[in-house]
Order: sequence, then C-alpha cells, then structure tokens
Amino acid sequence: MLAPIHRWVWRDQERRVQKLLRFGQTETDGGHDILRAAEMTPDPLLRRLYLKHAIDEYRHGEMFRRRGTDLLHTLSSRSEPAFQANWLAPGGHGLDDLNVEDESDKELLAFLHLSEKAAASRFTVYRDVLRSDEPTCAIFEEILHDEVFHMSYTLTQLARISPQHHRQHIWRARLSRLWKGYLRIATALAGVMGTLFLILQYFILLPPFALLAKRAARREQPGWIPISPDRNGSLNRQY
Amino acid sequence: MKILGISAHYHDSAAALVIDGLPVCAVQEERLSRRKNDAAFPLQAIEWCLEHACVEPESLDAVVFYERPMLKFDRVLTCALRAFPRSWRAFPAAMKNSLGEKVWVRGIISSHLGVPGQKILFTEHHQAHAAAAFLAAPTHHAAILTTDGVGEWATLTNGEGKRFENGKTNITLHREVRFPHSLGMLYSTFTAYLGFPVNEGEYKLMGLAGYGRPTMIDKVRKLIQRTDDGAFQLDLNYFDFHTTAKSSYSSRFVELFGPPRNSYDPIDLETSDGQRFADCAASVQRVLEDTLVDIARALHQATGLPDLCLGGGVALNGVANARLLAESGFERVFVPPAPGDAGCALGAALYADRIHFGNPDREVPDHPFLGPSIDDKELARLAGEDGHAFDDCDDNALIEQTADDLAADRIVGWIDGALEFGPRALGHRSILAAPHSAAMRDRINREIKYREEFRPFAPVVPIEVADHYFELPPGGKRLARFMSGVFRVRPEWRSRLEAVTHVDGTARLQALERAMAPRLYDLLLAYERRSGIPVLLNTSFNLAGDPIVARVVEGYSTFLRSGIDVLVAGSTRLVKREALPTKTKEAVA
Repeated sequence: MLAPIHRWVWRDQERRVQKLLRFGQTETDGGHDILRAAEMTPDPLLRRLYLKHAIDEYRHGEMFRRRGTDLLHTLSSRSEPAFQANWLAPGGHGLDDLNVEDESDKELLAFLHLSEKAAASRFTVYRDVLRSDEPTCAIFEEILHDEVFHMSYTLTQLARISPQHHRQHIWRARLSRLWKGYLRIATALAGVMGTLFLILQYFILLPPFALLAKRAARREQPGWIPISPDRNGSLNRQY
Repeated sequence: MKILGISAHYHDSAAALVIDGLPVCAVQEERLSRRKNDAAFPLQAIEWCLEHACVEPESLDAVVFYERPMLKFDRVLTCALRAFPRSWRAFPAAMKNSLGEKVWVRGIISSHLGVPGQKILFTEHHQAHAAAAFLAAPTHHAAILTTDGVGEWATLTNGEGKRFENGKTNITLHREVRFPHSLGMLYSTFTAYLGFPVNEGEYKLMGLAGYGRPTMIDKVRKLIQRTDDGAFQLDLNYFDFHTTAKSSYSSRFVELFGPPRNSYDPIDLETSDGQRFADCAASVQRVLEDTLVDIARALHQATGLPDLCLGGGVALNGVANARLLAESGFERVFVPPAPGDAGCALGAALYADRIHFGNPDREVPDHPFLGPSIDDKELARLAGEDGHAFDDCDDNALIEQTADDLAADRIVGWIDGALEFGPRALGHRSILAAPHSAAMRDRINREIKYREEFRPFAPVVPIEVADHYFELPPGGKRLARFMSGVFRVRPEWRSRLEAVTHVDGTARLQALERAMAPRLYDLLLAYERRSGIPVLLNTSFNLAGDPIVARVVEGYSTFLRSGIDVLVAGSTRLVKREALPTKTKEAVA
C-alpha cells in the first residue's frame, strides 16, 4: 500500500544515497549488538549462530556503504535533499535501544526474530521499487536471502530453549516493540516542544545577557591568563 | 583511604580506584560496554573497580569527578550568549545536552553509589590531567604542561609539580589559555575538515601528515596567531566550533583551504585533492609542533627543571612529543599511558589523595596494566565447546610455538594478564606480526584492521636494544615506554622493518622492559632466535570500530571474524585451520 510513497522517497538520487549510507550504519550497529550477544551467551550453539548473524550484518553494512559511496560519486551536485524521511524512523533493522547485556537469550531471540521479519518486509518493498536500479536491487535481494535464514534460526532456537513459552516471548517482544515505538514518538515530540520552548527563551530572555557577555568578551585579553592560587584549592565546589 | 575517580560524559569515560595512595585498578567504560569511546556515566567500570578491590561503595572515603560541571556549563552558556543570535540553533541542543544529565553529577553519583553528597569532590579538568601526568611519573620535581580540546574553560595550562621529602606533594598550575583558543580544537577542526571523526580520527591526521609536505603553513598560521606573551589565539572567523555543534570550520576556512573531504571518499594520494589533504595534515601538524615546542621551551626557561610531565589529549601526538623532547630543553618528558580524558579518572583520584587529603606520596606502579585480568582457561573452554583443536601448554613451549607462528608469517592475537588502561595496546591485548615486509602491513590493514593504507603500525622492541634499531635521543626510551614518541628507524634497518616504518622513515615504537610484560619480552627474544631481529609489529587487539578486547571471549570472537591466524590467551594457543600447513591440518583432523 505504501509502495508509491517508497517509490517517491527512493526516486531522489541524493536521498537514495543518504538512505543507503544510513542503512550501512544501522546494519553495522546491529552487527555490534549481535556480536555482543554472541560474547555474552552461555549457549555454545547460540554463540556460533549469533556470530554468523553478526558477520552477515557487518557484510550487509559494507554492501550498503559501498553502494551508497558509488552512487555518491555519480551525483552532480551535493545538496541536502529536502526531506530525509528518517526523523521518526525506528532503528529498524538495527537493534537501536536494545541493551544486550540486560536481555536473556529468549528475549533477544524473540526481538531479533521480529526485527528481522520487519526488516525483510521493508526490504522486499525497497527491492520492488528499485527494480530500475539493478545493483541496489541486487543488494536488497542478497540481504533478503540472509534475512530468511536469520528469521528462521531465531525462531527455531527460541523454540529450542523455550519450548513451552516461545509464542509468549514473541508476543511480549511485539508489545515491547509497540511500547518502544510509542516512546520514540513521544521522545521526538517532547524534543520538538523542548526545542521550541528553548528557542523562545533564547530570543525573549537572553538578549540583555548576550549584550553583557559580548561586552565582557571584548575586554578579554588573548594569551595567557594567570591562575589564582585559590583555584588550586578546594575540591568541594562544582563551580 | 579509598578514593574512586570518575571521568564521564564527553568521550572515553572511565573509573579508577586508589587505595592508600596506590592505583589498584582503572578501566575505560568502552572496554566493558563494548561501545567505542563510550561517554556514558561509567557504571560498569565503577562496578568492576569496586568488585575487583572488594570495596563497598559506602566504605569509599571520596568519589572524585574529573571536572567542575557548573563551570563547564558556565562556558557553554557564555559561548552561546557571545554568539547571539548566530547560536540560536545550537542553543537548544546545548541546553538539553547540559541540563539533561551533565550538570547533575553530584546527584547522579550519589544515587548510583549511595554515597553522601559531601563525599563527592570535583577537580578541575586540567588539574586532573596534571595529576595523571605528574603523580604517576617517576620524578620528584617537574614542569607540567597539559593541553587538549577544552576542559571547563582551560584548553592549555602550565605549572609545576613537586614531591617533598616529608612525603607532601604539591601541584600548582600557574597559567592557562582559555576556550575558544585551543590547540586541540585546531587539530580537531582539521580532523573534521579531512573527513575523519573528531576525537577518534586525530591519529589518522597524524598518519596522513607523513605523506604530505607542510606547504600550507602560512595558511594555517592565519588561523592561529602567537600572542606577545608567548601563548596563541585562534582567528575565530575561520571556525564554527564555538558557535555550533554542527560544524567545526567556517566558510572562510573552506575558502582558504579548498573544499573539505567527504568522509566516504577514499584518500587517493595520486590525485591533487589527495595530496592537498596530506599537505594540509602535514601543515597543521607542523604548526602544532612548533607552537608546543615554543611554549615548552619558555616553560623550561622559566622553571629551569629537567623534567616535563605532559598531559591532555594532545599528548597522544607522538610526533609532537618527540620534538618536545628534542627541542624544548627538557631532558626527560613523561607522558602517562592514558593522557586523555580517561586518564583523568586516575588523575582526579590521585589529586584528591595527595593534594586534597594531604596523604603522603607513594610510588605509583610504572605500568598501564590496571584493568580486568583474564581467565587462563577460558579460551580452552570456548574452543572446546566449538570443536576447535587447541594447545594447552606451559609458558616456554607456548612462547616458542608462538615465535614459530610469527616466523611463519602468521598473525597472532595475544591476550595476557590485565588489560591496559589507556588507548595503546602495550603487550597485553595486542595483535602481533612479523615486522619485515610491507605485504604484512597491507595484509593486516586489509584483513584485520580494515583501515586506511596511510596509517602506520607500531613496533615493540626490548628496551636494551631499542637504539640499535631506532634513533633514540637521550630520554627517548622513557618516551617510548608507553608508545608516546615517534622516532626515526635507523636507515640500515628500514628494509627489514618495512611493516612498521612509516613513509617518512619513523616509527611509534614501544621500548619494552622485561618487568613490564615478561611474556611478550620473552617472545621478542624467541623471535630474535628465529629471525635475527627482536622486533615485532604490535597493534591493538581490535577491529575497526571496536574497542580493544578486554575478555578472552571478545578476543575469540574477533579472532573468528577476522584474518588473525593464531590466538594466544593464558596458556592456550588456538590456530585457525586455514592458517595451518596441509600436513598439520590432517593431523588436527
């Protein structure tokens, strides 16, 4: 349903470059987190699978980065595209705000399974709207192939280590993704409101202080400034 | 007396614990959280320090933060006011950034550790740098020079440190240069201009400088002018870092030096742009060195002291350090293994112990191995679980086998004892290789470090024979103890040390004393018996974008996903199957 919007987003060459480079970073970040999971898990089989998964993610990151860089060199001008389509975007394929150290293997596998599934469905759309750009399309195709393995092993392993409750873990992970989505939107809104409030303060309250600060700056001599002996004294103050 | 030092919130946060005047442990948060240059409040590092020393937070006598948060906030706010109205975009971000966490340090420490507010102390940023440099150095009376991007207001300070016979210690900082006039920010601005990440890519700039000619010195001097009193000031028309967090340099800077490098474009030294970038790097490097040498020379003349203790992030510039030693008049230059912000955790704790509480001075161990130690059997367990064949043998056999590996051009991941505190791998978390051929350097760059070709690798050599291979001035061995100086490789050895000789004929060597890392030292001697040269390539045990490994499992995962051929941890040696000759593979199978 959203294919026309995606087609519009990807049509701008510069935006395409930015998205690919950002995907590259996200995949690499995801690789870091999964590698961490490999180092933390006490389960040898999971360690091997996580490691393979992490290596895949690093490889995907590199593929996106290379393609983005190649396209970057073909751009005639390098202005910022008007709309980046990412300010509310979730960490997506990466594990964004997941703290690997605090998660059990069950929670992590459920989370990974859903992340991979979501990424696979998004990448399928991207592959389809990028048919005319064969090299980029081929990258999504190759990554999708890996995603199928990632989706499948995470589910199989979850069923192995939690045979009775693996569905519950998946549902819990779904709710957690929803909650994180809400938090992301709420944080973004709060950020915008905070910024507006501070900008208002900046223009309403600060001008007289700015005048004083500028006047004081003009009086300052460049070069060495002696340090008064009392500065070498008490450690109790924060100022 | 138990004192915990903390540095946090900007880059490379860390914790250090000093008990009865001695550093017991210290670790950077990134090594435990596995997030490179982790700036978060170092909870994991603190927890590890307390656990390692079996100390409960309530029994701490003081917790010392490495800077004064409100003074820093004062600088952030004042700079925003001075840049009014140009700072309107930066102001909300700066306020949110500061007011979110950074100004509430006392409350944060108190709530995390449960220690009362009056036990929480604050040094100034450059006091902590000065203490880390002087109190950890084996000298009784020295001049002190600290320089970095910025602390609260200070960007460069000079002073003196003295240990008295009655055990008292004194550190006095005499003068400072204030933000926005900063050598560190000048260097970081060029780092950003050359498309490298700030606070991480400064090494790259230094490496690139070797490929350039300082043809743009006059242009760089337009940016930084010397003041009549011997200090310097930046021409702020060329910079933006003091008004916005988004960009370091202004459009005038770009007019002067040309278009900046896109970070995704590789540096091709065959092109005119590539050469321009290298010349830029060489020029700012030269100006930085000249300025530091002048300032240090004046400090030497004013104090008449033979020793200089150098602190702050700029002290990681080994080329500048070597010139300071050669030209400033000081006979010895001491740079701690962690001169940057992480080292301030230790500096703050030592400052509180010696200066605030007035405790008697104690000789601080002259090594960087203050971090988590390894479990000797962990590699055997991991390899066994994954079905890899491994050797478990005594020290002598392990060293001989590893020397054989190195002589056979295998790349070795080397994990031994406690983790280094600071950015350098000094023999406990290292990737080692034969130093002879450029092919080895290229292979490590390509298969392991995934980094730019222009970045050099460092050699490690026994201290007794260091000047046989390298041109070390008097005091050079000391500077090379923690890889803090860049010196020339003797011309007659350059062809045999190609992998560790930079394009300009220099190397950032480590001169190793046996007492500091005995197993690595013995490995050097064993390697000499095979190759005739007791020198190895020594680079940090990590891949691009990762912090140096701390635990064996991190070394193991790094080994599995890179081109490292052999992994040695504790008493275990693990060889990758593809690194083995066919005959051996069959035997293993």
